Amino acid sequence: MHLSLAGHMGPSAEQVPAERGLLSREPGTGRLSGEAGRGPAPLVGMRYQGRSLTKSFDGATVLSQVDIAFEPGEIHSVVGENGAGKSTLVKIMAGIYQPDSGELTLGEERLGGLSPRSAQHRGIYLVPQEPALMQSLSITENLFVGILRRGRLRFNVDWRSMRREASAYLARVGLDVSPEQKAEELSIAQQQLVECARALVHRCVVIFFDEPTSPLTAKEAGTLFEVMGSLRADGYTLGFISHRLDEVLAISDRVTVLRDGGKVMAALRSEVDKAVLVKGMVGRELTTQERVRPHFDATGRQEMLAVEDLTSQPAFEGVTFSVREGEIVGLAGLVGSGRTEVAETIFGIRSTDRGTVRLAGKPLQHRTPRTCIDAGLVYLPEDRGRHGIFAEVEVERNVTAGVIPHLDRAGPLIKPAAERLMAKQATDRTAVRMASLDTLIKALSGGNQQRAMLSRWLLANPRVAIFDEPTRGVDVGAKDDIYQLVAQLAEEGLACVFISSELSELTITCDRVLVMYEGRVVGELSGTEITDANLGPLIVGAQHK
Amino acid sequence: MSTIATSPATRRAPAQTAGRQETTWVVTVTVLLVALLGYFYFAVPDFRGLGASGILALSEQFLFTGLIALGEALVIFAGEIDLSTGAMASLSGIVMAALWQQGLNIWLAVVVALVVSALGGAVNGLFVTRFGINSLLVTLGTQFIFSSVATAVGGNSPPYNFPKSFVNLAGTGTVGPIPNQLIGFAVIAAAVWLLVARARYGRGLVLIGYNRAASRYSGVNVQRTLFGAFVLCGLLAGVAGIFVSGYYNAARDDIGDSLLLPAITVVVLGGVDIFGGRGRMSGVIVAVFLLGILNQGLLIRGNSSLTATMVEGVVLVLCLILKIALDRRAGVRLRELLHRRFAVARAPAAGGP
Repeated sequence: MHLSLAGHMGPSAEQVPAERGLLSREPGTGRLSGEAGRGPAPLVGMRYQGRSLTKSFDGATVLSQVDIAFEPGEIHSVVGENGAGKSTLVKIMAGIYQPDSGELTLGEERLGGLSPRSAQHRGIYLVPQEPALMQSLSITENLFVGILRRGRLRFNVDWRSMRREASAYLARVGLDVSPEQKAEELSIAQQQLVECARALVHRCVVIFFDEPTSPLTAKEAGTLFEVMGSLRADGYTLGFISHRLDEVLAISDRVTVLRDGGKVMAALRSEVDKAVLVKGMVGRELTTQERVRPHFDATGRQEMLAVEDLTSQPAFEGVTFSVREGEIVGLAGLVGSGRTEVAETIFGIRSTDRGTVRLAGKPLQHRTPRTCIDAGLVYLPEDRGRHGIFAEVEVERNVTAGVIPHLDRAGPLIKPAAERLMAKQATDRTAVRMASLDTLIKALSGGNQQRAMLSRWLLANPRVAIFDEPTRGVDVGAKDDIYQLVAQLAEEGLACVFISSELSELTITCDRVLVMYEGRVVGELSGTEITDANLGPLIVGAQHK
Repeated sequence: MSTIATSPATRRAPAQTAGRQETTWVVTVTVLLVALLGYFYFAVPDFRGLGASGILALSEQFLFTGLIALGEALVIFAGEIDLSTGAMASLSGIVMAALWQQGLNIWLAVVVALVVSALGGAVNGLFVTRFGINSLLVTLGTQFIFSSVATAVGGNSPPYNFPKSFVNLAGTGTVGPIPNQLIGFAVIAAAVWLLVARARYGRGLVLIGYNRAASRYSGVNVQRTLFGAFVLCGLLAGVAGIFVSGYYNAARDDIGDSLLLPAITVVVLGGVDIFGGRGRMSGVIVAVFLLGILNQGLLIRGNSSLTATMVEGVVLVLCLILKIALDRRAGVRLRELLHRRFAVARAPAAGGP
């Protein structure tokens, strides 16, 4: 097993570091060399620059013409909201994604066709948000994977020297654990530090941290920052991704703000304060903070969806709520709080342990997606790529996929002209922009795919619709249109459930918001109570109302 | 270290309509079939010597495979596979023959045999849908079960010499120059084609092949649709078993064994994605004749069956390479060129592109 790992080294050029181990690598790369057996030695980082980096996924541009330079001896933070393109940027710089266009320069060298492996080989390392260690291997094995040192016999593995060095590196990142311990025995914070040590073992001098603090406690984060600080003092080039501004302000030397895939600001830490960063991050949102529709008056409106004591273990328990005709009810909560699971249970995809779902007063028993759709209840899934679209299928058939049993027929045969007309009307209503109905849906932008999904459900003449993260993976310009569309459908009497992780979305679209935390509804806000300030504490379970 | 320039995204967008690619392939297969018939007709005197009725009669040699391919295509459209079809064909022929030998009316025996095949398909479907076992594994297993049941029922000397009416109608009879089996195949193929291309059931089936999870979220009853595909596949294999027994005027417990792989070959050659979704039933139907005529033509030309099999293998691989090429950029460019030419030729007044 270990030998085979060493055997996977690939081309001979890449075996050089394996054989030399921690000895100096290429001269002229600006790094000082260490001596074998002496453990970590100070290094000199390198300038790592990206120029006009652009990347899109499935037609949605997530990064557009971004220039950025990471300097040695600096902690350079990249901040932005969810979906601003921070992660995409560092993943491009670490070779995980290929940019659609743009170039990367490390020191004086232009890099092309970077892969995670070749990036690491050149000294670029990405510490992922969730540590990606091999859980059942020891720390030493994890640290040296890919560069296992050979022993004197050439075919064996020199575990002893590697263990010795592993201890030294662990000490360097402030970890007091045995290198023999298995990764799975470590806490997330410790694993993250091991990742850090791994970067050092691989002689990486450019280290990116992708939201490393989100799974950590404040104290653990403090330890990580100390390590980062000492790496900075040694001249490493450090990149730090976060949306927690206090952290950013505390440790950064330089800050770049991304918004909607573009760079909106780059400045030295000394030139900015929190207010400036916030403005940069959410600038656009501040202008559309107004609610998309006026106050909702519930009087005289029929209760369209009534969920009572709905339970599906282990995801959630005892969920009760109702939605009136024309009302938009938000479902807020962290990922994993049970929002999506509630929706899927209502829609008959997950099994129900107990509880009832009534549609316009009529109980829906033994629900399946089919019976729900036919009764007038539709669900727009969160994961559009996996659960929504048929990527390789034309828009037309994507749009009619929800109402196959109701397509106009001659005898048993579907009438193509009638189907086309139906699809055309539905896509016109949501203003899908496409070459024709024969276009494969994967060629559409994220926003237009989502519009096509909405038109799929409009064809079912729903009375209740559950929208699960309807603006995920959608270009920012298209988000507003989706809010407008949802509001318009509500005006026409559709009872809507709006699930979202973005508080700003909930505040501008919803008439009422339920907050879920760890599988339970922990709070309800309505009308003007719906503000970021009120939602925030509920969402993280800090306050039970 | 070497410096590699970052290449900007120069790759052209893939063809944005699937329908066009699939139609292109059906046309390609049809052109190949016509070319093949032309070659044999003009270059092989023995082939020409058969005359129209003789050439039509050749189809009796490969329609069994074609019937199995129709059923197999249904299962493959949904992203599954059925390896038990060959054994099922044997079993169906044996069941029919054994019941007839016991004194049952031959046509009633046919009905019972078809019910048995549908039930066999239902067993496959049940294991795949209810217990969630991979269809490759399920049908690999049931294949042996069906085949051993056929051996057990058939005994040492399976029946032969069926009533003349049966042999004539389901076997070697003709209407004018057209073999009865060809008519039967045409009717069944048309029905299966309409089922996939135009019926609600087929719409769901193909969507399952493209994205099973999304079909479920769209309200397609995935379990029932898959189950149906396996039942139909078993039934069609049963029909193939009746055809083959009628044609040879005998039932044998291993008669279907050689039909499975050619049937899967036909489905792939017909342009159906082996992982489900993409493809056209019409392509499969044309491919039945393409592969069948190729085989029979080579035999008539005097090649050994060994050579014929080898050539079929080569043709399959070449066709797949051609198909991939057509699906990719080269194909897009070729198609664009053809379209432009076509547009110019058709509407010269418009001044061309």
